[in-house]
Formats: sequence, C-alpha cells, structure tokens
Amino acid sequence: MYKVVIGLEVHCELETNSKNFSPAPNTFTKIPNINVAPVDLGLPGILPVANKEACRRALFTAQALNCENPDEVLFDRKNYYYADLPKGYQITQNTKPMGINGYLDIMVNGKIKRVLIHDLHLEEDTASLEHHPKYSLIDYNRSGIPLMEIVTEPCMESADEAVTFLEDLRDVFLYLGVSEARSNYGQMRCDVNISLMKEDATELGTKVEMKNINAFNNVRAAIEYEIKRQSELLDKGEKIVQETRRIAEDGKTYSMREKVDAVDYKYFVEPNIPPVKLSKEYLDEIRSNLPELKLSRYLKYIDLGLSEEDAATLSKDRKVADYFEKVIEKSDVATAVNFMTTSILSTLNKLEITIDKLFITPVMLSGVVDLVHKGDISLDHGKKILYQAIDEEKDPVELIKKAGLHQINDETELLKLITSIMDENGEIVRQYVEDGNMSAINFFIGQTMKKSNRQANPNMSKELITKELERRKENGK
Amino acid sequence: MYRGKSITELREALDKEEITSEELFNEANKLAHDFQEDYNSFVTIIDDYKIKRRADSTIAGIPYALKDNFSTAGILTTSSSNILKDYVPVYDATVYKKLKKAGGVLVGKTVLDELAMGGTGTTGHTGIVRNPWDKERMIGGSSAGSTSSVALGIVPFSIGSDTGDSIRKPASFGGVVGYKPTYGLISRFGLFAFASSLDHVGVISRNVKDSAIVTDIIKGKDSNDMTSFDSSNINLVDSLDNDIKGKKLFYIKEICDKELYKDSNDEVLNKVLDDFQELIDKCKNLGFEVEEVSIDKSLLEAIYPTYMSISCAEATSNNSNLTGIQFGPRGEGESVEEIMFSARTKGFSELIKRRFVLGSYILQKENQDKLFLNACRVRRLIVEKITELFKEYDGMILPASGGIAPKFNDTSEKLSSRYLLLENHLAIGNFGGFPSITIPFTFVEDMPVGVNITGRIKDDALVLNMANKIESVTGYKDIYSKVGEENV
Amino acid sequence: MIEKEKLKDYAHKLMFDMDEKEYETLQEEFDVILKQMDLIGKIPNISEVEPMTFPFVNEETTLREDEVGDYLTVSEVLENAKYQVNDQVKVPKVVE
Repeated sequence: MYKVVIGLEVHCELETNSKNFSPAPNTFTKIPNINVAPVDLGLPGILPVANKEACRRALFTAQALNCENPDEVLFDRKNYYYADLPKGYQITQNTKPMGINGYLDIMVNGKIKRVLIHDLHLEEDTASLEHHPKYSLIDYNRSGIPLMEIVTEPCMESADEAVTFLEDLRDVFLYLGVSEARSNYGQMRCDVNISLMKEDATELGTKVEMKNINAFNNVRAAIEYEIKRQSELLDKGEKIVQETRRIAEDGKTYSMREKVDAVDYKYFVEPNIPPVKLSKEYLDEIRSNLPELKLSRYLKYIDLGLSEEDAATLSKDRKVADYFEKVIEKSDVATAVNFMTTSILSTLNKLEITIDKLFITPVMLSGVVDLVHKGDISLDHGKKILYQAIDEEKDPVELIKKAGLHQINDETELLKLITSIMDENGEIVRQYVEDGNMSAINFFIGQTMKKSNRQANPNMSKELITKELERRKENGK
Repeated sequence: MYRGKSITELREALDKEEITSEELFNEANKLAHDFQEDYNSFVTIIDDYKIKRRADSTIAGIPYALKDNFSTAGILTTSSSNILKDYVPVYDATVYKKLKKAGGVLVGKTVLDELAMGGTGTTGHTGIVRNPWDKERMIGGSSAGSTSSVALGIVPFSIGSDTGDSIRKPASFGGVVGYKPTYGLISRFGLFAFASSLDHVGVISRNVKDSAIVTDIIKGKDSNDMTSFDSSNINLVDSLDNDIKGKKLFYIKEICDKELYKDSNDEVLNKVLDDFQELIDKCKNLGFEVEEVSIDKSLLEAIYPTYMSISCAEATSNNSNLTGIQFGPRGEGESVEEIMFSARTKGFSELIKRRFVLGSYILQKENQDKLFLNACRVRRLIVEKITELFKEYDGMILPASGGIAPKFNDTSEKLSSRYLLLENHLAIGNFGGFPSITIPFTFVEDMPVGVNITGRIKDDALVLNMANKIESVTGYKDIYSKVGEENV
Repeated sequence: MIEKEKLKDYAHKLMFDMDEKEYETLQEEFDVILKQMDLIGKIPNISEVEPMTFPFVNEETTLREDEVGDYLTVSEVLENAKYQVNDQVKVPKVVE
C-alpha cells in the first residue's frame, strides 16, 4: 500500500457582464468571434483595464475559502507562446493573489477533512481551439473571460476527497453566486497532480500532472487509474516518470509529454495596471455578504434532528437552504422538512425553476406548516392545497380560509354526521355487525370525508366511526 | 507659402480665410513628397484630403504628422517593422481620435526606429531617416520622421512617443521642440507598446506654445488606459506667460562639468557645455535662480543600464503578440510553433532580436533579481533623488546631448562616461514620469543642439511656462531647415 | 563570455532564429551590456531597495465598472488574419 498525495488546480470562469480586461461581453455563445475587443485579440497598442466586479468576486471567494486578501490589487504577466494566447502573455497574479493561506472543510464519508488552499488568483481565460483532422480553428470569444484559479496544497489522499472537494468548491461558487461553474461548458475545469509514496516515507513521490479535466467523474477515473498504474510500477520497483498525462475516453491515462526542464514563465508585474489599494472598509463590506456555507448548515441541520440525507438535500443549494431556514424560524422543523423535501423540491424539478422563482414564499409555506402541525388540517390536505396554490398562484392559507377547509374537530358535530351516514347505509352497517366486514370502516371514512367536503379530521373520524360501529354491534346483540 | 508657419500663424490665416485647410493640406502633401526621397520622413503619405467634420479647436484644419506606431483604423500602421508591413488596424488610438475630433488634418504616418526600439532613425523597414540640417547625419530616434517632418517645416507639429528620449533627443538633433508630458497625462491607448512603464506620448513642434496647444487637446483621462489621470485642472496654454521670477532650476555637476571630459579633446562637446553655461546666465537674467547640484556619479552611470534592462525586458513581452497568427504576415510551417517561428525570424531585424534576447535573459528566473529587479531598484533610487531635489527646485536644466547629430558611420564608445551620462540622462524623465521638454538653444558646427527642462510630475504647466520663457532668449524659436527653398 | 548555444536556445524560446554571424554580434553585445549591468550591482545596499514598476503612485487609479462597451465586429476580428474558416482563424493542427 502507498500513501496517495493529490493536489488540485481548479479553474473557474467568473460570471460578469464584461471581460476581465476589456469591455467585450462575457457571455457563453457558440457563434465564433462575436464577443471580442481589440484587447482580447492582442492587437498592437491595446491596454488592459481591470474589471472591478471580477476583482470583487475573486476577493469574495477568497474570503469564503478563509484566505487572507492582499492590501492592493496587482497583476503580473506570465509569458509563453501558444496558439490560444494572442498577446503572448497571460495577465495573472503571482506577486499578490486575491487570497492566500486558506482552507475549505469538506465532509468525506462522514468525517470532516480540511483541504488547504495555497492561493486563489484572478487571471484571464485563453481563446478556444476547435480541432479538425488537418487544422485547428481559433475562436477568441473566450479570450479574456475572468478566470479564477484555486491552487490547493498537496493534501488530499483519495479520489473521494478530491471529488468531494471539487463538488463542495462548486457549491461554494454557487452559494456565493460568483460563477455558474458549469463543467460541461468548460466554466469549471481542473488540473490534478498526483504522487504516491511509501507509508513511512517523508518525501513526496514523483509528481504526475493531468491537465484540463472538465467532468468530476473523469477526475475520479483519472485518479483511480493513476493510483493503480503507479502502484503497479512501484511494486515492480520501477520509477515513476515526471510527466503530463491526459485522460482518454476509455478511462485510462496516457502520457502527453515528459517534463523536460520546467518552463520559465518570466513573470513580472503588469505595468499597465497600476496597483489599486484595497481599504479595510471595502474588504469588510465584501465580507459582510458572506453566506453561511454548506457544511456549516449541514451540521446545524443534523443538530436540529434532520436525517443526513435531508440535511444534505436542504444544504446543497443556498437559496433552498435560506428558504428552509426562513420557514423554520417560526414553524415546526420536522413538518417543514417534510414539505421541503417532497412538495417543494419536486415542484422545482417539475417546473424547472429555482426556488426564488417559486410563487410560494417561505411565509406562505410557514402558514401551511403551522396549520398541519397544530392538526388543523391534515398533512395530505396541506400538500394538496399547496399544489393548488402553486397552480393558481394564490396564498395557500387564503385558499384554506376561503374554502372553509378548516377541519371539523368537534366530536359532537362529527358524530352527528357519522350517525346520519350510517343510518342511510344500514346494509353496510349490517355487514360489519353481522359479517365482521372491516372494510366498512374505510367506506364510512370515505363517506364522512365526502359529506364534510374533506373538512373532517380523518384521525378523529376513524376513531368515532370505529366506536359507533362497535356500539351498534353491542346493541344488535 | 505656409511652410514653417506655427499653429498660431496658421490659425490666424485660416480664420482670416487667407487660405483653406485643403490648400494647407495640399502644400504639406507636396512638401512631404518633395522631401521623401532625400529625408524619408514618412511610411505613408496621405494623398486625399477628406475632412468631413468641421471642428472648433485651435488645430482645426491644420496639418500634422503621426508616428507610425499609433493605431489608425483603415490606415496602414507598420511600426516601421517588416512584421507589421501590411497591418491595417481596426481601431483608433485615443490620441488620433482626439486629433481627428479637433479637426487636425493627418498628412502622413512617420518613420521610426523599428518598433520604436532605437535612437538613430536608421532601423525602420523603409530605410534611414536623414537630418534636415545635414543629410549626412542622423536625426536620431525613435521618433525620427516625426522630428524630421517638423524640422523640414512640412507640418507645424507631429506626434511621437518617448520611452528613453525618443522625442527629446531627436528634437535636440533636429532643432525643434520635443515635449514628453507627465506619464499618464496623454493616453497610451493605441500606441504600440515598447516598454509600458516608460512609454509616453508626446509632441514635436517648432515652439513651446504649439506643443502646449496640442497637448491641451490630446491630454485627459482615458477609460482605456488605467495609467491616465484626470488633468482637467491643468491648462498649459494659459500658464505659458506666468511670471517665473524666483523659480529655481538646478543642473547636475557630474553631467555638465567640462573638467570631467577634458581628456576627450572634443571641441563640439566643449562648445556645447560653454554655450550651456551662457544659457544659464541668460536664465539668471530672466529671473531664474540656477544652482549646480551634485549627484552620486555611480547612480548617474547606472541610468543607461537600468534603462536597457527595464525597456528590453518589457519589450520582449510586449512584442510577443507579433506571431503572424491573428494579424501580420503568416509564416510557413507544419505546426503553430513553426509558423510563429518563421514569421518572427523573417519579421524582425537583427537589432530587435538582440534586444529581445537580452530582455528575455534579464527576466529569466536565475537572472531576474540581479538584472531586472536591481534595475527597478536603481530606478527608484534615481526617481527618489530627483523628486527630493524637486522639493527645493522647480526644475532641472541640462543639455539634451553632449553633441550634435552623429554621422551615419558613427561608432561611439558605449562604456564611456560621456556616453553613459551626457547621452542618456533624459531617461530620468521616463523613470519617474516627469514632464520634460527639449528646446533648441545653440548651433555648433551649423548643427542645432537642444537644452532640456524637466520638472515635477503633474506640474507640466510650470515646465512649459519655464521653457517658454527660456525660448524667448535662445534666439532659436520657430526655426526649421530651409532646405529646398533656394530653388523656389 | 556567454556561450553561443545558450543564446540560440534563448532566441528559439522567443520563437525566432538568427544567423551565425548575428549570434556572434549578440555574444559581443552581451559582454558589453552585462558589464554595464555590473554598474547597477555596485550601488551600495541596492538589495534593500523596493523595486519600482510604476513611475509614480497615482492614488486616483480605479478599477473599471463591469459594463459592456465597444468591441469588434466579426469581420474586424478577422480583418488581419490571413487564413480563416467558419469565421475563425485557421492554423495548422494544434497537437495537445
């Protein structure tokens, strides 16, 4: 057995109106070269102008990842030649990243793991290349889109940890609203560094790098394949080659190139972007918008008595969690969880909307939850009313009031109704009394509900019906 | 006959309807063509007058020339390099946009040292630029054609760029005014970058006032240039005639002291320094206080290597976009690397390649601290020293050069004190972004020599005010080479 | 003196080549320039100075508001590209 050491470099495109250093639109499109300013094309004479909102989002994310922010915004140039890099350098951050020395706690197989963040920096995306059998085509739409890179320490030890980190990191982006982080659009992608070492070794093993993996299941496959491949080599006493590999569709990794000597990117401070001071007030103002993150909410929900599954479901999406927390500010937790995990989430799925677009507000749901919890209406009815309210875009509590749908909880009133129904259905009563036909109970429950316009308290009705039938049985003897 | 006339004179003639803008353009166009073969000022001469917009500014209807490293949509812009020999930009530099809006009439795009990296005017892809005062001599560079076109009287002003002395040195060799304002006063958007932290846009004209007029029009904060600043409180023309009584100037002993060069037996140099002292006396008569100050010589000798280090390093990176992929001549090859390699190998001249290799070497990890960051540290020491002096003094006055324009076969010793000090001190203005202006102050062996005045950042108005006063006592205001006029 | 082979390697990494004679000139030039650079190292206590990138500090510098502004049309984007297919710039196949 070997100890696995994994580090990740995660890239995530930020959602902004315009690009990081130019005023061209930052929108995803399949029509090539329609979102391009001279800056994004690297034309002679261009100057980058840094986007305030991109900087704010990167600083905000760094805060969420418990990083220290710098005292000023400063960019550097990373120099290299590649077909997708029109300027011949990428504007990035080397001297003063937006965040350093952070961490993200994640829950892996029931245990909390702290993943250390080396740094978070803001840079620009490259153009995209479309490969054809005999040539490649360059589309500059992506060139200059704000890109955040999060570099972890080599501190993860399994594919589970790496994939959970990625999923949780994506949830952080979504929680903060800084990015849509759609990996199928390449908005979130990562490089994986992996090395194996003997359990008792003190030095890290030889690092193998896997670049630009979009899908998280490919990250898992690549890591698992590499652990197997490298273990087998080490078992045979062979050396691991320091190299870059890629994952293919068959789930195996293949060597792309051996690392000759490290590329010297000749970093230096970008002279066209003067430093912009970050005041404590500005950083505090950004920080004041930090939401409570997923793990913290999950643990809180567990404390409230939710099952692990329900806690995970309700903490996954920030808006759902916020909604849920508003409902339980005043209302019963268990009933609220029941409504949330069934009616509300299924409605969102069915209508393909997010919870903020739902007609039912937390206050409305609270009203229904309270009625059910007090026993004024049944859970079933509550849900039915809720669906009706969604359909008709009406307040469910108003609907209940209007239809007079309050339950009949008065025993005398109910018994009067039940007696009259039984008097009209002598044959059914007889079947119970003489033949012991138990289905008669259900028949009378059904009739009671029908005659009461579903206002009868079902539990109470059932109790009274059984009692009355037994009474008649005794009398008949 | 409006050759050699100032902006003020042309304005008056236009306003009095003695001449039309189109006639002025046609005259300038003819002069440009007439002198092109002998002096090679232009890469492109504009032949059709097509001003549609009527503008209301001092320069409306007045011809000018633009260095060929400013982006002009629809007009060839080569930066005097083969790698851009067919490049027609799709956007306008801010300066060009402002000049167009003000009604300036573009006569042509002027030759520079390839990619503005040079000080001789001999490395442009369309050939050498000659000095209007003596065809056997250089005009200097890199704003070579912008200087020669003004010195020939073709246009009253031109736009140049200045990274080390690229406006102010050729101005000295060409007997014209060359002004590089405070860093950020004029937007660099659309100026093909050489060394971004040192690059400045500036003006060449035949008198201080014309430079002030043009700068008032093209300055201002630009949303496309983060290093530009709001200068709405600065009005250069209005400050030109302010009283300068009691203004304090200094010159640097380690640069101007004749004793330092006594072994060289250089008569031209001696004459320049003598005339400089004479000018100092005239300044005192004008009411200036002038003092000699001493600065550590090792710091001054470090100016040139510091400049080389920073400028070459930034230039290597700035020109990495020239690969022939999204613009420029496409190289040949089977892979992207090969086509880039081929385009760049063919597209750059030897000198440029040497500077790029040097710049890249300086930025390499193992050399960066010693070569690049140390240069950035010296830059700070020099700037801090001069800034400190500016607390006491209003300006620094120095000869712009220790000599006259060199002949084409000149091979001066690049390690001599004279070279390191007298020929390179103008870079101080770029290191600190100080406003700095060269005006002609004497003639030696029938060739002009300029004096330079440099002042506090954002105090351009005072610098031009002082220069304007000094100009009044030199006797060389509004001069130009009258070559060709004897034939008329 | 710096080795010629090294200079060639540096040039190749900058995506160009020079001829033998040019490399020799470069070699000599390096010699002179590196000597000039030595002048920098001679300044006392130089390593304690903070490197300067910007000519002066401009406290007014602000970041750009996140608004869409001027940008190019497709034909402007492609105007100077010699080879194009489907509104994209065509290059030899890029092997990843």
